[in-house]
Amino acid sequence: MSTQSIAFSAWQYQGRLWRKARLWFSPLVLLLIWFQVCRTGFFPEQILVSPGVVLETFRELWVSGELQEHLGKSLYRLALGFVLGVVLGITFGVGMGLSKTVERLFSPFFNAIRQVPSIAFIPMFILIFGVEETFKIVIVLKAAFFPVALAAYDAVKGIPQRFVEVAKVYRLPTRHLVSKLVLPSTVPPILTGMRLSLTRAWIVLVAAELLAADSGLGQMMEMGRQMFRIDVVMVGVILTGVVGFVLDRGCQWIERHLVRWNT
Amino acid sequence: MAARLALYVNEEETVEAAGGTLSIRGLCKSYALEDRQVSVLKDIQLDIKPGHFVCIVGPSGCGKSTLLRLIVGLDSDYAGEILLDGARITAPSLDRGIVFQDHRLFPWMRLDENIALALLNHDYPKAEKERRVAEYIRLVNLTGFEKARPHQLSGGMAQRAAIARALVNEPRILLLDEPLGALDALTRVYLQKELQRIWMERRVTMIMVTHDVEEAVYLGDEIIVMDAHPGRIKRSIKIPLPHPRDRASSPLQDIREEILNELTATSPEPDHLEEAVRI
Amino acid sequence: MMKPARRIFGLLTGLAVPLLCVGAWELASRQSAAHAWAFVPVNEVWRSFWALLNNGDLALNFLASLRSMLTGLILGSLLGIAVGALMGVSRIANILIGPLYHMVRQVPLMGWMPLMGLWFGTGTFSKNLMVVVAVFYPMVLHTYEGIRNAEKHHLEVAQVFCFTRWQTFVQVSLLDALPSIFTGFLNALAFAWVATVGSELLFGTGAGLGSLMLIAQSASEMEVVIVCIVAIGVTGCLMNYGIGRIRKWLLGWRYM
Repeated sequence: MSTQSIAFSAWQYQGRLWRKARLWFSPLVLLLIWFQVCRTGFFPEQILVSPGVVLETFRELWVSGELQEHLGKSLYRLALGFVLGVVLGITFGVGMGLSKTVERLFSPFFNAIRQVPSIAFIPMFILIFGVEETFKIVIVLKAAFFPVALAAYDAVKGIPQRFVEVAKVYRLPTRHLVSKLVLPSTVPPILTGMRLSLTRAWIVLVAAELLAADSGLGQMMEMGRQMFRIDVVMVGVILTGVVGFVLDRGCQWIERHLVRWNT
Repeated sequence: MAARLALYVNEEETVEAAGGTLSIRGLCKSYALEDRQVSVLKDIQLDIKPGHFVCIVGPSGCGKSTLLRLIVGLDSDYAGEILLDGARITAPSLDRGIVFQDHRLFPWMRLDENIALALLNHDYPKAEKERRVAEYIRLVNLTGFEKARPHQLSGGMAQRAAIARALVNEPRILLLDEPLGALDALTRVYLQKELQRIWMERRVTMIMVTHDVEEAVYLGDEIIVMDAHPGRIKRSIKIPLPHPRDRASSPLQDIREEILNELTATSPEPDHLEEAVRI
Repeated sequence: MMKPARRIFGLLTGLAVPLLCVGAWELASRQSAAHAWAFVPVNEVWRSFWALLNNGDLALNFLASLRSMLTGLILGSLLGIAVGALMGVSRIANILIGPLYHMVRQVPLMGWMPLMGLWFGTGTFSKNLMVVVAVFYPMVLHTYEGIRNAEKHHLEVAQVFCFTRWQTFVQVSLLDALPSIFTGFLNALAFAWVATVGSELLFGTGAGLGSLMLIAQSASEMEVVIVCIVAIGVTGCLMNYGIGRIRKWLLGWRYM
C-alpha cells in the first residue's frame, strides 16, 4: 500500500511537470515553423521577417528610447482615462442602485448609450475634442465607464436585503453593517467590472491611437504599416498583447488578494 | 398457492436457456484518494441465476452502487472476476441494461426518440426498431406519450420511460440503481407493482439496489444485505414466495423486520468520505 | 400591473434626461459659429437623416456593414465551433491548440489591423477576416467549455448503450453544449458588430457605416456621424433582442 502511494504521488508529480511543459509545446513549434519559413525566403521582407529581426527591432527601439516613449504615452492615457471612468462609473452605478429617482431618470439613457460600441464614438469625439490628448482620454473614459457602472449598479442592487433586515433587527452599528455586509457583497463584483473596463479601455485606446495620434503603441504600429516596416508592426502587436495580458492578470491577482483579505 | 408456486418454478426453468447467469468471484475495488487507498468493496462473492430478481440493501457507503457500476461495465478497474454467462465483464455491452436513480432521458429528444436511441447500435431494420420502441412503450404503459419531452413527464412517467429504454435492447440482465428512490411514496408503490409485472412478463435477470427494505422484500427472490467499511456482503436471504406478492403478508413482514433489525443493529454512521468518492 | 398614469409618468422621467441632453446640445449649437461646427443643431441632424434615407446612402452603407458582419459571423461561428469542439473532444488537439489560442487572444482585436493591412491589404478580405477573428474567440471558448461541461450522467448513458466516440459527440456532447454555444453566439454577435464598424473605420475603404462615419468626420459633418452612431446602436439592440428570442424558441426544452 505504501509503495503504491509513493508511486502514485511520483506519477502525480510527473503529471504536473508534463502539464506545465505541454503549455509551451505548440508555441515553440510555431516559432520553429516561423524560423524555417523565413529561412526559405519564400516571402518578401515586407510580408514576413524572422523572429530574430523582430527581436533586433525591439532592441533598437528600446535603446533609442522610442519604445518606452510610445508605451509610456499609451499607459498614461489608459491610466488617466481609466481612473476617471472608474470613479465616475462607481459613483453613477451606486447612485442608480441606491436611488429610485436616479434610476428612473438615467437608466433608459444609460442602457441606450451602452448598446453603441465605444469605437463608434471615435469620430464624434474627434469632431468635438479634436485629435489631441483630450479625445483619447475621453474615449478611454467612455469605454471604462460603462462596465464598471453596470457592475456597481448590480452590486448595490444585489446586497442581500434579508441580511440588512436582520442587521436592523439586531441594531448593528452602521460601521459593522458596512464592513460586514455592504463591502463584502459589493467589492468583488465591482472589481470584476473594473477588470472588464480595463480590457475594454485598452482595446479602444489602441483603436483610437491607430486612427488618430502622434504617439503611442497604436500610432507606432500604424506608422510601421504605412512604411511597410513589418518588424515594427510585429513588435507593436506582441507588445499590445503582452500589455493586455499583464493588465488582465494583474487585475485578477488584485481581485484574488483583496477578496481573500475581505472575507 | 401450490399451483402458483409450480408455475413460478416452471417459468424459471424455461428462461434458463436465454442466459443471464452472473457470477462474481473475489471482487475487490478501491479508490486512490490523494495518496490514500480507500477500499470500497472487499471480497464479494455472488451468484445470480437467470431470471431471478435480486435486491441489494445496505447502509450508505457500503458500495452497492459501485457494485452496479462495475457489473454494467462503467468502471473496469477492479480485482477479482465478474462473469456474465462465463465471460468476463470489462466494458459496457448491450446485453446489460441499467436504470439510474435519475431518469437520464435526454431533454432535447422526445420520449420515443429517447427509447429508440438505445437501439442505435443494433442493425435491425427501421421498421423493426419502430416496432420494438412501440412494444416497450406499451409495456411500461406510456402509450400516447410518445411525442412528449422529458420535462413534460412526471417523475414516475420519466422513470418508466427509463425502464423501457433499458429493456428495449432486451438485455440478459437489468441493473436498477435505486430507480424509485427519488419518487413520492404513492408513485413508488405503484411503480413497484409495475416493475413486478414487467419482470414477470419478461423474466429478465434483475439486480436492484435500494434503500427501502420493504421494497426489497416485496420484489426480490433474494436479498443481499451489505455492510460498509469496507463494503462486503453480510448475509443473503432467499425469499421463496411466489409473485405477485401481497405486501402485507406476514412472512414478508417477518423477513422485513429481520433485515431491518440486522441493518440497525450497529449505528449506521455514514462515511461522507466514501460517499463522496462513490459519485 | 402598473396603473397607466404611473406608466406614463415613468416613461416621461425616462425621457427627461435624454431630452435635457438634446436641449443642452441645441443650446450649445446656438452659442456661436465655432460651437455650431461641432454641436450641429438638432433639426440639422434630422434633415441629414432624411437626406441619407432618401438618397439611399444610409441603406447602402447599412447593408454593406450588415453583409460584412453576417459573412464574418457565419464563417467565424462555423470555424469556432469546429475548433472548440475538437479541443473539447480530443486531448491532443487541446494540448496543441489551447496554448496558442490563449496566447493569440491576448492581442486586442484592433491591434491586429496593421498586420492584416500589411498581409492582406485594406479591402474586403481584411475587413471580413477581422470579423471572423472577433467571432472565432468567443465561439471556441464557449463550445469548448460547453462540451467539457457536458452532463456526465448523459455521457454515462451513451457509454451504457455502447455509443462510438462520434455517436457520443453528435448525440450527446454537442447537444449538451448547445446552451453554452448559444451564449457564445450572443457574445460573438456583439463582438462581430464592433469589429465590423471598427474595421470599416480603421481601414476606411469600401461601403459601410464605419466608412460613412470616417468620411463624414474628415468633412466635419457631425450630423452624419450622429445618424451613423444611432443606426449602429439601434442595429445592435435589435440583433440582441432577436437572438434572445431565437434562443428561447430553440432551447425551449431547457426552460422547464
